[in-house]
Amino acid sequence: MKLQVIKQRVLWWWLSGLTILIGLVAMAISWQQLGSPLRLGLDFVGGTRLQVTHVCTFDSSCTDPIDLAEVRRVLAEQGLESSSIQLLGQDRQTLSVRTNDLDVDERAALQTALNDTIGPFDLNSVQIDTVGPTLGRQLFASGLLALLSSFAGIVAYLSLRFKLDYAIFAIVALAHDVLVTMGVFAILGLVLRVEIDSLFIVSLLTIVGFSVNDTVVIYDRVRENQKLNPHQHINDVVDDAVNQTLTRSINTTLTTLLPLVAIVLFGGQTLKFFALALIVGFLAGVYSSIFIASSLLALWRERTGNIYGGSSAAADETTSPSDPLPDPPS
Amino acid sequence: MAKYQAWLGLILALTIAAVVIITQLPTRLGLDLRGGSQLTLQVKPTAAIPNITDREMEAVQSVVEGRVNGLGVSEAVVQQLGNDQLLVQLPGINDPQQAERVLGGTAQLEFRAQKPGTESQLAIENQVLQSHLAELAALQATLPETGALDTETEARLEKIQADIKTSEAAISALFEPSSLTGDKLTDALARPTTGTLWEVVIEFNNEGAEKFAELTRSVAGTGRSLGIFLDNRLLSGPVVDVQYAETGITGGNAVISGNFTAQSARDLEIQLRGGALPLPVEVVENRTVGPTLGRDSIQRSLYAGLVGLALVLVFMAVYYRLPGIVADVALLIYALLTWALFNLLGVTLTLPGIAGFILSIGMAVDANVLIFERTREELRAGKTLYRSVEAGFYRAFSSILDGNVTTLISCAVLFWLGAGLVKGFALTLAIGVAVSMFTALTCTRTLLFVVLGLPQFRKPALFCPGLTSQSTRSATP
Repeated sequence: MKLQVIKQRVLWWWLSGLTILIGLVAMAISWQQLGSPLRLGLDFVGGTRLQVTHVCTFDSSCTDPIDLAEVRRVLAEQGLESSSIQLLGQDRQTLSVRTNDLDVDERAALQTALNDTIGPFDLNSVQIDTVGPTLGRQLFASGLLALLSSFAGIVAYLSLRFKLDYAIFAIVALAHDVLVTMGVFAILGLVLRVEIDSLFIVSLLTIVGFSVNDTVVIYDRVRENQKLNPHQHINDVVDDAVNQTLTRSINTTLTTLLPLVAIVLFGGQTLKFFALALIVGFLAGVYSSIFIASSLLALWRERTGNIYGGSSAAADETTSPSDPLPDPPS
Repeated sequence: MAKYQAWLGLILALTIAAVVIITQLPTRLGLDLRGGSQLTLQVKPTAAIPNITDREMEAVQSVVEGRVNGLGVSEAVVQQLGNDQLLVQLPGINDPQQAERVLGGTAQLEFRAQKPGTESQLAIENQVLQSHLAELAALQATLPETGALDTETEARLEKIQADIKTSEAAISALFEPSSLTGDKLTDALARPTTGTLWEVVIEFNNEGAEKFAELTRSVAGTGRSLGIFLDNRLLSGPVVDVQYAETGITGGNAVISGNFTAQSARDLEIQLRGGALPLPVEVVENRTVGPTLGRDSIQRSLYAGLVGLALVLVFMAVYYRLPGIVADVALLIYALLTWALFNLLGVTLTLPGIAGFILSIGMAVDANVLIFERTREELRAGKTLYRSVEAGFYRAFSSILDGNVTTLISCAVLFWLGAGLVKGFALTLAIGVAVSMFTALTCTRTLLFVVLGLPQFRKPALFCPGLTSQSTRSATP
């Protein structure tokens, strides 16, 4: 089977465009409802999350799951009606309450009240996260800065290794991957109330660092093929390069996805959505490398009249066409 | 063959060294895995001190360290974060609310006169306090690294901490209340005197000078001491010489001398300066994970890691056959070397750090995928087995390098700009990528050529299924 990347490029662009468009719509709805394109977790907006587990899970004496109405009543008594409540665990005995930023006394009062009415809770499995709003904004700003710096670093490196137009299309592909991942999480935020935290920014950065690999492999091959066949049309060169590297593009992504799937299946709450973001981003990454980065490069070369990879296109000398490896002595 | 033997020896030696390191050196676990509290403290500027410099931060840090010590937590860490924040790590703490209450707030430095007739009592109380502190240190040395404490140990720990508190309160009760507080102290400086001895010079403002004269007059020559309290804990209790009995120490300057070493004098200096700073400290972040939850996370991550590793091993062996199995051996070596390097470098493993490590297992074989695909292509093009393998390594190298450099760029950015947990992920992923460059290239290459040295393995079908036509040609190059 040979993949028709160039011939069907309009189809590939539509697929990506549509996916991104749906994501953007989700972000717009999210912006209207929540004031930000994604549902921001307490890492970025500040707040307090208190997670407690009923002692009955440790001696398996649980009868009924935690009563949500009861929890709401306790929260209302503390003046925290607007908090969000979540029950976790298989037997619904772990309670996670997310409130606005509480100081230590308010938090202690809440914990005591919950313990007295719904508890007793196990002291050794309490989890507390409190982030002040100012610190949250700092974390958010530094996350964005990290993402932009990472983009800049990769553009700089790729323009050193390849020509500038290669680098620009690689970045377009990366922006595609980031947008798709953000879109999926905007939808998750609307439908399942999934929040993004610092780890989401980490996942975006990792996606950026990893997804460019497949693009690089294909571009490497384009460059090599152009040197081998200087008189082949750029469209055929790109098509060949994509098909020659197809198995390795898929397999490198697959081997990286396997451990991530294991994390989604077996990892704890914190890592699940982190691994999911990476899976979405890496899948988008392999797609954009094969279909977007390559076809855009071909289109650009075609439009600028740079159709044949003669001596001008093979300016950078990283792989020499003559095989330098001698046959080993037998 | 000979050149691969040297490499093989090196790889073997490294693997053995890795196993030894893993068994001998402990893996350092982050607070999210062993349980504990991590607090970020924000030092707030005031009208009097609008700019917070390193000198101020050092002083505030010493105040906070004093408060942390008062919590009786073993292996607590206080470090500066950015320009005006402190990061406090309290492993295995059982009452995060108490910690947060104690750590926030402005330092309270007081100079107080000892009550008459309490001399012998102070000595006794001091001894009691020292014995409680020794007891605490002895108990802390036996505490387990992870998991919840049993109820008996926990009760003992709480009792000792309560005893220390009672002792400190008892000492504090032996001193008169005073209005000479830290805000009237303008400076403190440690300086050497004769020989190896050091002393600490303190300086008050006008109002402080008057009060200090009065205070010192009341205790001079009586044998009672002048208690210097920071957050209600006695820092130092010097006695005032009889020559000041008439007027007290006037002029607002005084020297505290005694058995100070350079270190202890400097400690007191910084504590005094910290106490003199009216800088409020606010807890802006609290991340507390109960020890049971931490152990649960370790277990889950371990499962995830092992399952992930197994999936990758099976995939490589099934898809790439003989070279896949060789890559699997290299991957196991990779996992051992990376883990050993974490222990050796003292990398603190956090939950995101473990995720980075698990992720790097999948990335580590990417280089092998590139190499083996290239090898297959060369084989299909009709090249000999030996040359195909060589070409696979040679041709794939630039792509492998590019891929790893871009991942490292992301890691570097994360490491410089990220906060605590994020740093852990960046560090483990970066170490993983670096080690994988060695194992995926050098280890796989060496092992593969060693295997190729054995005639029974020299069959192209073992490298590229469905390729039989050229097998006779390439088996004997």
